[in-house]
Amino acid sequence: MIELRRLTKRHGRTTAVSDLSFDVRPGAVTGFLGPNGAGKTTTMRMILGLDAPTSGTATIRGRRYADLPFPMREVGALLDARAAHPNRSVRAHLLSLAQSSGIARSRVDEVLGAVGLSRVAGRRAGDLSLGMSQRLGIAAALLGDPAVLVFDEPVNGLDPEGVVWIRTLMRDLAAEGRTVLVSSHLMSETALTADHLVVIGRGRLLADAGLDAFIRANSRETVLVRTPDAEELAHRLRDAGGTVRPGVAQAPDALVVTGMESAVIGKVAMAHGVVLHELTPHRTSLEEAYMELTRDSVEFGGAESGPEGER
Amino acid sequence: MTALRPVAPRPGTTPGPAAVLRSEWTKFRTVRATVGTLAGAFVVVVCYGLLFGTANGREYLGAPPGEQASFDPRQTAFRALMLAQLLVSAAGALTVTSEYASGTMRTSVTAVPRRGRLLAGKAALVALLMLPCGPLLALASFLTSQATLTAQGAPGLALTDPGVPGAIAGAGLYITLIGLYGVAMGFLLRRTAGAVTLGTFLLILPAMASLFPEWLARAVLTYWPTSAGAQLFWAGLNADGLPPRAGFAVLAATVLALLLAASALFRARDV
Repeated sequence: MIELRRLTKRHGRTTAVSDLSFDVRPGAVTGFLGPNGAGKTTTMRMILGLDAPTSGTATIRGRRYADLPFPMREVGALLDARAAHPNRSVRAHLLSLAQSSGIARSRVDEVLGAVGLSRVAGRRAGDLSLGMSQRLGIAAALLGDPAVLVFDEPVNGLDPEGVVWIRTLMRDLAAEGRTVLVSSHLMSETALTADHLVVIGRGRLLADAGLDAFIRANSRETVLVRTPDAEELAHRLRDAGGTVRPGVAQAPDALVVTGMESAVIGKVAMAHGVVLHELTPHRTSLEEAYMELTRDSVEFGGAESGPEGER
Repeated sequence: MTALRPVAPRPGTTPGPAAVLRSEWTKFRTVRATVGTLAGAFVVVVCYGLLFGTANGREYLGAPPGEQASFDPRQTAFRALMLAQLLVSAAGALTVTSEYASGTMRTSVTAVPRRGRLLAGKAALVALLMLPCGPLLALASFLTSQATLTAQGAPGLALTDPGVPGAIAGAGLYITLIGLYGVAMGFLLRRTAGAVTLGTFLLILPAMASLFPEWLARAVLTYWPTSAGAQLFWAGLNADGLPPRAGFAVLAATVLALLLAASALFRARDV
């Protein structure tokens, strides 16, 4: 269980993370989403005690990371795939980590086997492909068999096979009752893995909900209607409480209706004798909902200063 | 992917300083840069021991009798060591800066979040390595230089001469402190280039004393930590020198102060 309470990080005048509070629960994969620069990595670094929060707390089972008696046995982290010395062998890299945490040497070969790197154990870490480096990072995270796992953009730059492998691994780790926090800037990827979503933009919490609840709350049903009598129908539907806008430009007979189910639209059309050529319900995709939610944070993401209204 | 056998937590085995030290030793010996730099110190000390011995022997033979009388082979004995110390300092710095350069410092700090303990582990490793390597470097500097002096017919010292074993032990201690100085510089500056360049400049500052006004030169040759520390093996050769114990205290206090500053910064900074 990871708990964030009013977590804030400022760098000079820029606010990277602002007043962030949420929980990451065991037994589930929590997707940590936000556009690039939203503050995901800074948040994870604060959870891991690498960055000191300006204010607020991040705790793991009630303790700050630095106060954990057995950090590697409690939390495993993958922050940067290329975080092994390029001239050190894969095995030596893991061995030095295991030794610092009092983990048996035999565990190194175990995790190497688990991530499929046994055959390259003697190779220099700098000679590994990006995908193999990611696996090495995950092996390091698994060394202490921790109950809490934190992965920052683990699928970045992976081939499809690697992506599927990581997805399965996350699901398996959560199924074993572990707490899994995975950041990503891609909703499409996260939706396939996560049970729970935490979305941030410009350092602020935008959503904290289960995947289904998130979809329900953020996706809108629209209905595409085509009729030779578009003007008349639009007028009638508005009277009945629907929101109507013209449909695609190349089809003057199309209307897009929101806030009204297709059955109701059909009834309204019949009541006023309007002929319908098409009546198609459409649910906005998760990706669209996410884009909608984070649109503001992306628009201002390239600005020189930090979020507005912070100071 | 094979199934992982869960590791049973072993309460009571909180990884302590010994675990950190073991891990640091693995890191040190498995990277060519750190091992190579330390090995390079031995190469330098042997090569320059021979060169200084040859040059000073030739100087002696060409000098008028009056100057020959004041020739002290002790001067030649540890000159090569003064060059080798630059590599010792660099090796100490590399144990830290290579972690920053490769990004492993973040992994190391997540594994050992008690940063004071991590710093202490690196310092302890360098101290433990240099305690034997320091006297060995001093011995190599002494033997090569004295052998070349005597081979040319100039006066040279033998290991059994009075004061020689003490000077070699003192030089070893000096080199150990220089290794720790490198570690502190690594933590303070984080970049290899910065830590090595500034580290070198500060170490050899006394060599530039002749460029300074006399009062400043005198102060540098007396109190500058490396001049003061060199009294451990050059006592009596430097007219302005402190007593050996006081000189050692100046160098040791400086290194300790740098390590404490490094520790404070390391704890306060984001990694």
